[in-house]
Amino acid sequence: MTPSILYTACIASAIGLYLLARSSNGPARGIGTLIGLGGLAYLLVGVMGSSEGGTYTSILPLIFGIIGVMAAVRVTTHRRPVFAALYFVLVVVASAGLFLLLQAEFMAFAIIIVYAGAILITYLFVLMLAQQSTTDDSDSGASWYDRTPREPALAVLAGFIMLAALTQSITEADGQAFMKQSIEKSSQSSTIAWQNLERLPKQLTRAAKDVQPDTKEVISGSLTPNGATATIKVILENDQEATLTLPASSQPANNQNVGLALVADFPVSLELAGVILLMAMFGAVVLARRQIELGEDEARELAGMQPTTQRGGDE
Amino acid sequence: MTLLAVLAETSETASGDSRMLTICMTFSALIFVIGMFGFLTRRNMIVMFLCTELMFQGVALAMVTFSRLHLDVSGQVFVIFILTVAAAEAALALGLVILLNRRRQTLDVGAWSEIREC
Repeated sequence: MTPSILYTACIASAIGLYLLARSSNGPARGIGTLIGLGGLAYLLVGVMGSSEGGTYTSILPLIFGIIGVMAAVRVTTHRRPVFAALYFVLVVVASAGLFLLLQAEFMAFAIIIVYAGAILITYLFVLMLAQQSTTDDSDSGASWYDRTPREPALAVLAGFIMLAALTQSITEADGQAFMKQSIEKSSQSSTIAWQNLERLPKQLTRAAKDVQPDTKEVISGSLTPNGATATIKVILENDQEATLTLPASSQPANNQNVGLALVADFPVSLELAGVILLMAMFGAVVLARRQIELGEDEARELAGMQPTTQRGGDE
Repeated sequence: MTLLAVLAETSETASGDSRMLTICMTFSALIFVIGMFGFLTRRNMIVMFLCTELMFQGVALAMVTFSRLHLDVSGQVFVIFILTVAAAEAALALGLVILLNRRRQTLDVGAWSEIREC
């Protein structure tokens, strides 16, 4: 892909986003949407032209991605913060769809539960606490600071120079060669899965018992990957050795792989994440509590001490 | 063909598709850049933090794409930590927003442009 296509697409999307952010309604908004969509389509055609792939595989990520990007634009340009928060839920759902296509099933559901279920509800609660209620349903009902963007031209410039740099690094020749090389490695994916199964001894025993119910124990280190299947040596109930062939269905699933990596490869980070969450909880409680100014007498009373009465007598 | 059948076929044939990874990387860059644009232009404090969540979302998508590219689940483990940081950030930032809103009765960041000890 020639750089000129990339830069033209970036400039078009930038102009579209600028028009959308600038005007609350009217014809400029429609023109902005059209220019932005045109730029997005041009960018996608350019990016897709620089790589090869199948048919279904490239349609579904496009659908999810376009939904996600349009919802993201609405998050940044919608005049009413509650709607911006709801459009963010749409971004989360769309990227969960992309996660599913990328075979990260656990993360797809985790991101919906944590983002759409927990974080966004917190945002909505705070919006309801802080926002003055408007009876008007139109855009003019929003506060002035929601209607007027701050330096949209400079922000668009900064953002889309960054986009040009990022997409160029994705589509340039080295990146493509690297991606192809990595894809060729994907024939080893079942080997990696079998190696992970070997690190899960209970799971391995269960898989062996599914194949041969008489299994007493699995001889450790005896698993040899053989493409989609693998062979293991086991000791049967009658103390005889046997060789079993495990089917592809006994490979560990995505959530098992993630859990294994989390506990076995990053145990300290996991503990630190817990500490971070605890500290955030304390911080939020300390920040959001209402400060009550207490006089000296009230403070003494709360502490269970006698109120100072001799102050008046001293004077 | 039902959608589920298409999904199943997709995840089986996806192993040889570099185009899908390119598309996912492009969308992650787009979502990140749009989030950055929103953070720079919006004046409402709550929406500004919403836009940082948008940037997190873009990074998470890039992480999962890299995890698919390298066939290594570490990328997905990073997304779990991104979720942790996002949750912590949301709790702290929203507590701060409530505190600031109580003092000046507005969500405008411009109200805090000349910040000083008072």
